[in-house]
Amino acid sequence: MVRKLEPYIIASWHGHRNDTDIPAAVKAVWDEKFKAQRGRTPGRQSNVDIAILDSRGSLVHSFDAANHQQYGRRGRIESYTADELSRAASTLGLAKRPTKTPALKLPDLQGKQGVRVLVSLDDERMHAYRAPVVEVVPVEDGDWDHLAWPEEARRVSSSVLLPYLSQIYPPGVMERTNPTTKEVYRIKAVEGELELSPVAAKKGPRHAILRGEVRIVDEGPDDFGYKGTLEIVLAYRDGESTPHALRGYFDGLYPRSDRMHRDTRWLPLQAAIESIPE
Amino acid sequence: MKRTSRYLFSLWATVLLAGTGWSEGTGTRGILERYRSIRPDAKDLAMYRLDWATSLDDALKRAAKESRPVYLIIIHAKYGDITSGHC
Repeated sequence: MVRKLEPYIIASWHGHRNDTDIPAAVKAVWDEKFKAQRGRTPGRQSNVDIAILDSRGSLVHSFDAANHQQYGRRGRIESYTADELSRAASTLGLAKRPTKTPALKLPDLQGKQGVRVLVSLDDERMHAYRAPVVEVVPVEDGDWDHLAWPEEARRVSSSVLLPYLSQIYPPGVMERTNPTTKEVYRIKAVEGELELSPVAAKKGPRHAILRGEVRIVDEGPDDFGYKGTLEIVLAYRDGESTPHALRGYFDGLYPRSDRMHRDTRWLPLQAAIESIPE
Repeated sequence: MKRTSRYLFSLWATVLLAGTGWSEGTGTRGILERYRSIRPDAKDLAMYRLDWATSLDDALKRAAKESRPVYLIIIHAKYGDITSGHC
């Protein structure tokens, strides 16, 4: 699939049909998708469409991303998308165009200091949700003052890590949205005390460990939250009190509400946390 | 065999970490190993081999300049950051 997408510049757009600034390509796709089909029962449709545009921005091909006839069967969406891409490729003349495999380029801050959070949800029923989420958060001067080198172990509130830990929630969390605004509930707080302790080392870089149990809470009205273990190694340069780098992980369980089976499934929710640039 | 593998892994980890300022001593080794086991591998991060534009406008400008087509993902929703995966 990645090979078939290599010739393309990839972009995403989101919005509603009553928005005033719908791009021409999106309007063309939606006009076709939602037009009344006399004498036909409308088929099931997803809320995601793919539009293939040529280099001048003209719509060449479009299709519903989910292909509901095959929905839920493992690998079917991939093969369906590959078939649709093959159709577009012949129109665009891509079959003759050689491509080289591009390097993996994770989101970053163009050299600016930050924290990258790579989130994984192990949902055995919905494989699409197992794709990792990657978020980057800038670090400003003073943000890590609370993590200054500990001469001896001390307590630190996990709330100082809110900008990073607030990225730890599953992809496509449809059950945690505001019913009025349709916006996803953002993470509003991180609760729990952490211990920051120095690591004894005879030589080499200085390290400290930040660890504890945290509870991540969203802004919904029902005090919804989920817990996990947080462990982070902090690195300090000689003569500096604030850390210059960190690596660690969050390992918790997320209570996913399953409306179809009317139960709650506790799914492993994990995140690798690392400072950038590496 | 198992011991050899463990030795080679330790050697690899030591070499890899030596240049980054990370040392795997008592206390840090377990955390850094857990970090590596949780971090998705390159296969799972394949979507970041794709050439993402920051917006549709950006994609169209680049498409014209580079003579390339655009693969546009349209999400009928108020939110949808497909690039990060939080959509």
